[in-house]
Amino acid sequence: MRRQQLLPYLFLAPALGLLIVFNLVPTIATLVESTFIMSLRSGHRVFAGFANYERIFNDPIFWKSFQVTVVFSLLVNPIQIALALALALLINQKLPGIGIFRSIYLLPIAVSLNVTAIVWGLMLDQNSGMVNGILTQLGFARQPFLHSVDQALWSIILIASWIGVPLWSLFILAGLQNISPTVLEAAKIDGANAWQSFSKITLPLLRRVLAFVLVADTVANFLMFAPILLLTQGGPRLSTNLIMYETYRRGFIYGDLGASSAMLTVMLLIVFLIIGLELYLLRGAE
Amino acid sequence: MNPPSAPARKQRKPLRAYLQPAFVYALLLLGVVLVVLPLMWAGAASFTPNHKVFEFAYPFSWRALFPVDFTLEAYENLFARGFGRAVGNTFFLAIATVILGGGANALAGFAFGRFEFRGKNFLFLAVIMLTFMVPVDLTAIPRYILVNTFGWINTWQGLLIPGLANSLVIFLFRQFFAEIPQELIDAARVDGASWLRVLISIILPISKPVLVAASLLMFISQWNAFFWPLLVAPRKELRVVQVEISLAIGQYGTIWNELLAGSMIAAIVPILLVIPFQRYYVQAITGTGLD
Repeated sequence: MRRQQLLPYLFLAPALGLLIVFNLVPTIATLVESTFIMSLRSGHRVFAGFANYERIFNDPIFWKSFQVTVVFSLLVNPIQIALALALALLINQKLPGIGIFRSIYLLPIAVSLNVTAIVWGLMLDQNSGMVNGILTQLGFARQPFLHSVDQALWSIILIASWIGVPLWSLFILAGLQNISPTVLEAAKIDGANAWQSFSKITLPLLRRVLAFVLVADTVANFLMFAPILLLTQGGPRLSTNLIMYETYRRGFIYGDLGASSAMLTVMLLIVFLIIGLELYLLRGAE
Repeated sequence: MNPPSAPARKQRKPLRAYLQPAFVYALLLLGVVLVVLPLMWAGAASFTPNHKVFEFAYPFSWRALFPVDFTLEAYENLFARGFGRAVGNTFFLAIATVILGGGANALAGFAFGRFEFRGKNFLFLAVIMLTFMVPVDLTAIPRYILVNTFGWINTWQGLLIPGLANSLVIFLFRQFFAEIPQELIDAARVDGASWLRVLISIILPISKPVLVAASLLMFISQWNAFFWPLLVAPRKELRVVQVEISLAIGQYGTIWNELLAGSMIAAIVPILLVIPFQRYYVQAITGTGLD
């Protein structure tokens, strides 16, 4: 009997041990590290209280990257969720050949963000990229895309959405398939048109899924990193200097782990706020 | 499509029933173009001599979607530079993650799904839920400092071990194991089988769906992992595919066909895994968001 009570703990030990050491401890360590000033090169750590926070809060580059991240989030998340919802509704149609479309839309999800960034970076090339090739063919002027202060962030939004839209549409599709067809049939018999049954039945029943997608998408985009490192390094003129890239630049390019950890702590708090919002939204849905 | 009780609309039915699918197909095709165009061009360009990579992209012609003067030179040069090593490293890392991580995560999922024990809910909330919510990239710097104190920078341990346990995968296993009928297990237990035996001879054979789903998830996320390998193992001999192609941008930035050849190799492996197993993969990634 005693052996049996020990057994579940034995089963849990490897995975939980690893999660505690490599995930939980670093989460707490982020908070601790943010109160130290340390350099990667010398390896000396000195307790510094809130000095790192003072430094970043007085730093216009931090605020600029914070602002860019907020603008990016306010654009990319609604765009991705609206398009993902539209795509999910399309691939949920019972039409011949729909399975082939569903398979094709899975392709971007399997491809890494790095590959996406590399390929789209060349597609958007200001001199000879295919997008400009198509634009000039249609009689438009060539666009600078990633090299323009006005267009670079939009280019990153496009790259992120190439994966993001099909990815989140899968969650919404799963939600749509959970809706019992009899409910929609009943609405149809009662004379509801397509828009009415979408807005009065489908959308409310998708609320749980949409709340989840909103939060997961927001968190994922909040950490957008690879396309910035590979394509813009935050430029031109800091217009794509998203906060995750800024923490990497501080921590690993300049070796300022203290400031980097302070930024990560701020980000961690924001992530918890976003998740708190999810729990609040989901509570309302039950 | 229309309610039979509305005769006025019934007359419009043939036209609408014809137009609506046409509209849906048109939109779906537009999306397919956006998905397929960059992949086809990149694939074609990787088989094209470097100076002709952009020839039909700008100005655009359909020939951009097929190799121009077909050549394997990009792939040959890439592998001559040692790209094969990165491919081997990534396969090794991804397979090791599936075997070792899969084992650890399955055991934890089994304990959460089938046992009642003291502290179960606390452990689930404090460890699994919390680590599920905090994105791993956010804690990469303290993890780097920790791994550095172990002396694991530029080592296989540093690349592999921190990513083995995965709360999403534990979720998947827990859900699956919790739904196995108790009678199946009771019957074996009455016959005196040990838990380990039950696990191997009863549970494992019926667990194919969750094993495929979890393995795909672990393999592909390790194959596509970038941030952690970039930080922990920048040494040439330990580089993974994603790190290698990202460094190629800076080093060989104008040898586009090689950059695209590397990208195609990085892309084709997960694509070939996802397509035949798409039901499992979709279930794996959407499994936790919905309940």
